[in-house]
Amino acid sequence: MLQQAIALAFIAIFIWRLLIQKKKGQIGGNEFLFWLAFWSLGGLAIIFIRVLDKLLVSAGFSGSGINFLLYLAVISLFYFIFKLRLKISKLEKELTDLVRVITLKQ
Amino acid sequence: MKVACVIPAWNEEKHIRSVADKVKNLVDIVIVIDDCSRDRTSALAKEAGVFVLRHPINRGQGAALQTGSDYALKLGADIIVHFDADDQFAASEIADIIAPIKNGEADIVFGSRFLEKKSELPRLKKYLIWPLGRLVNRLFGVKTSDPQSGFRAYTKEVAQSFRIENNGMAHCSEILIKLSRGRWRIKEVPITVTYHEYGQKFSGGIRILKDLFIQKISQ
Repeated sequence: MLQQAIALAFIAIFIWRLLIQKKKGQIGGNEFLFWLAFWSLGGLAIIFIRVLDKLLVSAGFSGSGINFLLYLAVISLFYFIFKLRLKISKLEKELTDLVRVITLKQ
Repeated sequence: MKVACVIPAWNEEKHIRSVADKVKNLVDIVIVIDDCSRDRTSALAKEAGVFVLRHPINRGQGAALQTGSDYALKLGADIIVHFDADDQFAASEIADIIAPIKNGEADIVFGSRFLEKKSELPRLKKYLIWPLGRLVNRLFGVKTSDPQSGFRAYTKEVAQSFRIENNGMAHCSEILIKLSRGRWRIKEVPITVTYHEYGQKFSGGIRILKDLFIQKISQ
């Protein structure tokens, strides 16, 4: 119960930070909605962790709901790192193009 | 035919002056691309009386070669030669590299350390790194004997047909892969390489594979 409360407090802080970022215009509408849905689903999964346990057992899994959430989190992290790597690669390319334009104008 | 030699350089104050001096009488245009060196590379290259362009931010050898090739095309070059700034290639062999293009036998010529001429090659490179590099290149359809040759020449038509997108050392493989897939006539000529430093290590080979993979999936 205490662990759930701590996890929910963290999610509340993340959502609060998200709202501030949106208010300051630091993130776009789609990104805001994505992260809001992400953290809200995370919060719901923690609130209904027992239901999640039962669902997993009925689906034939032996692990508990919290394990499942952990696996999901690791997969998500890998995905986001991969996306970031591609984004950095694109930015690197654009930076090189810009450097080239400046250099050729010398 | 107007021949331009592109020399990418980064912190090469030890060699750039002598390399520029050796090359300038053998071609029509010499372009040194200083990739934001922290030493006197630009100043020394300018003293040699060649074209010197400087990247405001360090972007890597592949990026410098593409900038140099763009500039060579702007100056009306018919043949573009890529040459290293660390004095490991023999300037006298530029004539051998461009001869098949001038004679109309090839559109692209790669220098190879593995043909008749004998270079003093470090053992680890000779027996492990380059055979592995050659194997990887074969998977991409590259059939040349030297997997990482930086001494090459091609026509302006070839230069206009592709872009070097890998900033780092993977550009050598990228060039080989892209040009091997084209309709071009490719020839290899033997070159001599003198190693002043060990150069690329095994970890560099791993980085090349990683860069090629990232480039492939980010397209």
